[in-house]
Amino acid sequence: MISAGWILPALVAAPAILAGLSLLARSPRAALRVGAAATAALALAAGCAVAQVFLHGPLQCAGGWFYLDALSAYHLAILMLVFVLCSCFAIVYFREEIAAGHFTRKLARRYQSLWFGSLAAMNLVLVSNNLGVMWVGVEATTLLSAFLICIHASPQALEAMWKYLLMCSVGVALAFAGILLLAATASTSLSGHDALLWTRLMNPAVTLNPMLVKVAFIFLVVGFGTKAGLAPMHSWLPDAHSQSPSPVSAMFSGILLTTAMYGILRYIPLVERATGNTGWGREVLVALGLLSVLVGAAFVIGQQDVKRLLAYSSVENMGIITLGIGLGGVGVYAALLHTLNNSLCKSVSFCCAGRIGQIYGSLDMRRIKGMLKVSPLWGGGLLAGLMALIGVAPFALFISEFLTVRAAWNQAAYWPMGLLLFGLGLVFIGVLRKAIPMAWEPPESAPKPLRTYRAEALLVWTPLALLLLLGLWIPRPLGAMIAQAAAVLGVTP
Amino acid sequence: MSIWNFSYAVLGLLLAPLLPGITNRTKAVFAGRHGQPLLQTYYDLAKLLRKGAVYSRTTSWVFRLAPPGGLACLVVALFLVPAGDFAAPLAFPGDLILLAYLLGLMRFMTVCAALDTGSSFEGMGASREVQFSALTEPALILGLAALAYATGSFSLSGIFGGVTRPDWLQVGPALVLVAAALLIVFLAENSRIPVDDPNTHLELTMIHEVMILDYSGPDLAFILYGASLKLWLLGALLVNIFLPLTGRSGPLQIACLVAGMFVVAVVTGVIESVMARLSLLKVPQLLVGAAALSVLGFVLMLRYAL
Amino acid sequence: MNAWTDIMLVVLILTTFWLLGSSRLASCIRICAIQGVATGLLGVVGGGITIRVAAISLAVIVLKGLAFPWLLSRALRESNTSHEVQPFVGYVASLLVGVVILGLSFWADSCLPSLSHVASRLVVPVAFALLIAGLFLIVARKTAVNQVLGYLVMENGIYTFGFGVVREIPALVELGVLMDVFVAVFVMGIAIYRINRTFDHIDSDQLTLLKG
Repeated sequence: MISAGWILPALVAAPAILAGLSLLARSPRAALRVGAAATAALALAAGCAVAQVFLHGPLQCAGGWFYLDALSAYHLAILMLVFVLCSCFAIVYFREEIAAGHFTRKLARRYQSLWFGSLAAMNLVLVSNNLGVMWVGVEATTLLSAFLICIHASPQALEAMWKYLLMCSVGVALAFAGILLLAATASTSLSGHDALLWTRLMNPAVTLNPMLVKVAFIFLVVGFGTKAGLAPMHSWLPDAHSQSPSPVSAMFSGILLTTAMYGILRYIPLVERATGNTGWGREVLVALGLLSVLVGAAFVIGQQDVKRLLAYSSVENMGIITLGIGLGGVGVYAALLHTLNNSLCKSVSFCCAGRIGQIYGSLDMRRIKGMLKVSPLWGGGLLAGLMALIGVAPFALFISEFLTVRAAWNQAAYWPMGLLLFGLGLVFIGVLRKAIPMAWEPPESAPKPLRTYRAEALLVWTPLALLLLLGLWIPRPLGAMIAQAAAVLGVTP
Repeated sequence: MSIWNFSYAVLGLLLAPLLPGITNRTKAVFAGRHGQPLLQTYYDLAKLLRKGAVYSRTTSWVFRLAPPGGLACLVVALFLVPAGDFAAPLAFPGDLILLAYLLGLMRFMTVCAALDTGSSFEGMGASREVQFSALTEPALILGLAALAYATGSFSLSGIFGGVTRPDWLQVGPALVLVAAALLIVFLAENSRIPVDDPNTHLELTMIHEVMILDYSGPDLAFILYGASLKLWLLGALLVNIFLPLTGRSGPLQIACLVAGMFVVAVVTGVIESVMARLSLLKVPQLLVGAAALSVLGFVLMLRYAL
Repeated sequence: MNAWTDIMLVVLILTTFWLLGSSRLASCIRICAIQGVATGLLGVVGGGITIRVAAISLAVIVLKGLAFPWLLSRALRESNTSHEVQPFVGYVASLLVGVVILGLSFWADSCLPSLSHVASRLVVPVAFALLIAGLFLIVARKTAVNQVLGYLVMENGIYTFGFGVVREIPALVELGVLMDVFVAVFVMGIAIYRINRTFDHIDSDQLTLLKG
């Protein structure tokens, strides 16, 4: 077991080294291609670690500073999946820009380096056992990904980047205050170096002052919640998502938010134990989740920009995940399943939306008409992605949303259930109203479709097929993975 | 009640006009001038008292009441200020509030008189005076309250008699804050730089001087003497905080305090020499800052007392 | 020993008030530098100096006292913006808000159960006050430089809290945090530079292209 543990620091170190090597890339195309291949290789390595965790139990290394249990392994699997998808898409997305000379070698080197840097930071978040190091990872993610937003320095992109940088830095700084509070209350019974190790904190012998833990949790939820895009701290999110290049938006929406969410998840068992399982922490999450669902839904209605629409849908989906976690029981399973579904679906949708935007030269949904005819692949992919997002039946998001509603029903939480259904209904109507003209209305002018290769179809249809499959049948290993991850959060089957 | 209880107030009545002289001399030294004689204020007072007063026809009894009324307020206030160990002649619990209100009453009379002249300049000065004093008063009261809390006494005599050397060691930071706030109050109340410039005669920038433009003869003498007394009065509060002399012999204490007053006058001169007058818009910032210092001092005292 | 800690904490609060009341960006940067140095000294004057404490304090002083001010003044010099703070909330009102924040943090501290490791009774409320005042500065000031300063004040508050309450954070974590803050300010500095180049100003309130 100990020898297998060494893969954890390697998962952080390898992308960090790759980030350095990317600066030596010979051409933009090479940078992106080699980057995608390297990400795929990393994904294989991570896959081994994940399999190890689910078959043989948690991995740890370096005196317990690195730790991978079912919860983080599950998130790691999603992370690598999204990164592989987005890295491959980046090759497609930047193709025309490279040909036109907009995506120069300098930009490509910077882009690929920051891309691997973000990957390293997110891996650090997932594999570290020390809550302080985890925080360092979250903050590093913010800083490294900030410049990804404004690879093409337009005024809008800069504005989005400034908002993202400031809001997330401030938010995450608040989270650190929460971590310190937690460490302060733990240091009565733990020696200094252990006071921030999650596995030590989980030891039932450690006494935590409930009042201080509550205050700490508020700080943490506000802090990491800002990064996870929970309302009312979400205002950076639509800007950053709409202004960054599509592979970056896809990565943000697919995994950056989820990683921050993972930060909150880590603390839930601690809070539950310290407050004597009164469900106080979960109630906070329910309230915040509902607010996010409603805010996201309200803003989806009036959107004209397709990427902003997807971004607000992200707010809504992060809300559903938070709500599911907050409801507990079946809700936790639903939330974890939804995390996977949302990540897959969001990445595909953003990729397709970016491509459609390139074809039409605009992201304004009033100008995108008849996309199914203009580009069957990307248009079809975007339509399918949008359908999946609003929870049309055979897709997996329907299942996870349905399970969340059922969790509310089981808990007799009728108000949250009603509000959730109301929010979902709003999104359903709002997106459908926009999606139908986009798909089928005759185009005003016929934009020249971009050249598509057969391999690109794979990029779009594989994740969507996966979503469809998960909607119909959840394979047993996946079910077991989610059950193990939920067990970490204190939910026993 | 011994002779020492009275001595400080009586000395104040006698020596107060010396303070502006010292301040002016300091400023002169800084500017490389010889400057006016130290006793200039005494000469001015003597000259003014010999002259007759001229009153504008538009003024009423309000205008004539202000100079003697203001002076009376200050003389009473002077007898509320303790000297080291020795309680003030008029000390009673709660006299710190009386002190603040005597200053307020005096200001009220001056402001009314300024308005009574019907001149727009004096009205402007009155308006500024009221605006700024509304900001200095919280600083003064909160500062005194902080000291009252720390010493557990509600009388000026108890408060300043209670500030001892061990206090400085224990609650030093808080005392420094309160003293800094009181220093700003001292400068503002006495119309000194950086709040007001006593030497300027540009109507647009003056505050205090503009209000007394219409006075002449004995009335002006009363006002000048009153200004010196106010300098002494508020200076004495500062000196009392900074010199914890408890337990020393009477003459030594009084001598130290009087010497302290002279030091305050010199410090005022130094401040006036090295600082520029703030623009009118920034004065409220400074005064609110002083109030903030007082609050901070108060909060710190609360914290130490716990 | 305790008295020195207290004095440093009072310096922290005073610089915060000063920052709330000052109108020149250049002097704001200087005040922030003073505050950074005071934050760094907090660890040294607390007594019990180990190599770890000394190294971290030195790093803090160098970063917050020298590197950040230099970086920010450079950003300020190269921008052709007005050098006034341009507040949304006036200076006097800001000072009053500062007083209210201070009162609130003392009140909040009295509500919390006391932490056993606290070096001085003032640490927790002062840290809270800095935290909230930093947030207030970010919200109440228009220029990007000032928002970074607000972030730094907040960060100082958190550092103070960490030093006063949990003395035993592993050095690795602490250095990591410091590193992150450094990079954050660095990145913000570059961002300010770029914003300035693109927009001709660094007033973040005029960044209003993105809405809804």
